[in-house]
Amino acid sequence: MKAGIINLNSGNLLSIVSAVDKCGFETTVINEPQTGFDVLVMPGQGRFGYVSQQLENNNWREFILDWIAQGKRIVGICVGMQLLFEDSVEDESAKGLAVFPGSVEKLKHKKTPMVGWAQLTSNDEFYSQQFVYFVNSYGVANSDYCIASVNYGEKFCAIVQKDNVIGFQFHPEKSGDYGLELLKKCLN
Amino acid sequence: MSELIKKTSLVPRIIPCLDVANGRVVKGTNFKKLLDMGDPIELALKYQHQGADEIVFLDIKASVDNQASALAMIKQVATTLSIPFTVGGGIKQLSDVDRFFNAGADKVTLNTAAVENPELINQIANKYGSQSLIIAIDVNHESNGEHVIYTHGGSKRVKKPYQTWIKEVVERGAGEILMTAMHKDGTGSGFDLDLLEQANFPLPIIASGGANKPEDFLHAINAGADAVLAAGIFHRDEFTVSEVKNYLINNNISMRV
Repeated sequence: MKAGIINLNSGNLLSIVSAVDKCGFETTVINEPQTGFDVLVMPGQGRFGYVSQQLENNNWREFILDWIAQGKRIVGICVGMQLLFEDSVEDESAKGLAVFPGSVEKLKHKKTPMVGWAQLTSNDEFYSQQFVYFVNSYGVANSDYCIASVNYGEKFCAIVQKDNVIGFQFHPEKSGDYGLELLKKCLN
Repeated sequence: MSELIKKTSLVPRIIPCLDVANGRVVKGTNFKKLLDMGDPIELALKYQHQGADEIVFLDIKASVDNQASALAMIKQVATTLSIPFTVGGGIKQLSDVDRFFNAGADKVTLNTAAVENPELINQIANKYGSQSLIIAIDVNHESNGEHVIYTHGGSKRVKKPYQTWIKEVVERGAGEILMTAMHKDGTGSGFDLDLLEQANFPLPIIASGGANKPEDFLHAINAGADAVLAAGIFHRDEFTVSEVKNYLINNNISMRV
């Protein structure tokens, strides 16, 4: 199985590449659209506006939307998950991919960023009660596609899924053994 | 406890701290001689298996002569550990930080460099995001009752008042504050609980300095610490991370297990 890690020039990709490797994939970092992969991973760190701007380079936006339209698998992580929504209050003029309806909002807790391990709430027992590592100041409060959530001032979505499109607000590559198990399940 | 604080699924973190020099974990002694404590990757993995929530590597001497070994170590940590890690020590300018992040570090921590060049906080926050930056603050409770901050490993008194510095650090974009109470550090008398209780800041606080037994972790968390950093208690094998966590769980603190 082959995984392509989309390089949106936002943060170091070493940890995510190692984690996907450990899940048994042949992993390649891709700087421009490229086919021949079973799954794409879209990591993102930093400001929504900056990462969204990177989508305009190399026709990433069209390529990713086309990939999703063909029903192929893609996993968004952190800001990479937020990009799957329409927009974000962090940078209001920036455009997401709008695969999921809704906007990214500021977390409603007096301490931001949210940093650390939180236990997932989910109806699916694979996710329920598991601890994963979060580092974010923004999140999606509500979505019909939310399959696991956590509280930080208010409930927000930890995992969203629609067919073969999956988004993690947290960092599975930093979430210990469970994080790797989760990645493995969702990449396949 | 306010409603907002209660409504969180976050649990307090336990963070072992490793001092590294020339690619080895070291421990300073009174004679300024460094004792070799082992391989940083092996020790970090041991703590990860014990349930550490993050690892901090400090005093990585990123000077020109041994920078290559520090960066090689960071790369190895990034590909081996499956929990987040922070590196600090020897950071003077943005290019030092660039090298750490390029090698795979999740966060950096700075102390002296932030005080000497506060603009560096803005530069790092703008380039890598606030979440990537921990500002370490060494605070001493002086005999006149004042809280005074120090740099250069606790040897240089800083004129800027403690409260003013905290406010500045927050405004410039720090993601977390690593607070060391110098008057408690190494004493084994517990954390400075008053300092933690007064630290009502809009970002996570990592308490450091003074942990000698599991009760010290409990008191720090109850006083408001979002995370607790400790070195000696773990390195001397007095308690494992899991023993500390079990003690906390038995005292009604939620922990990741």
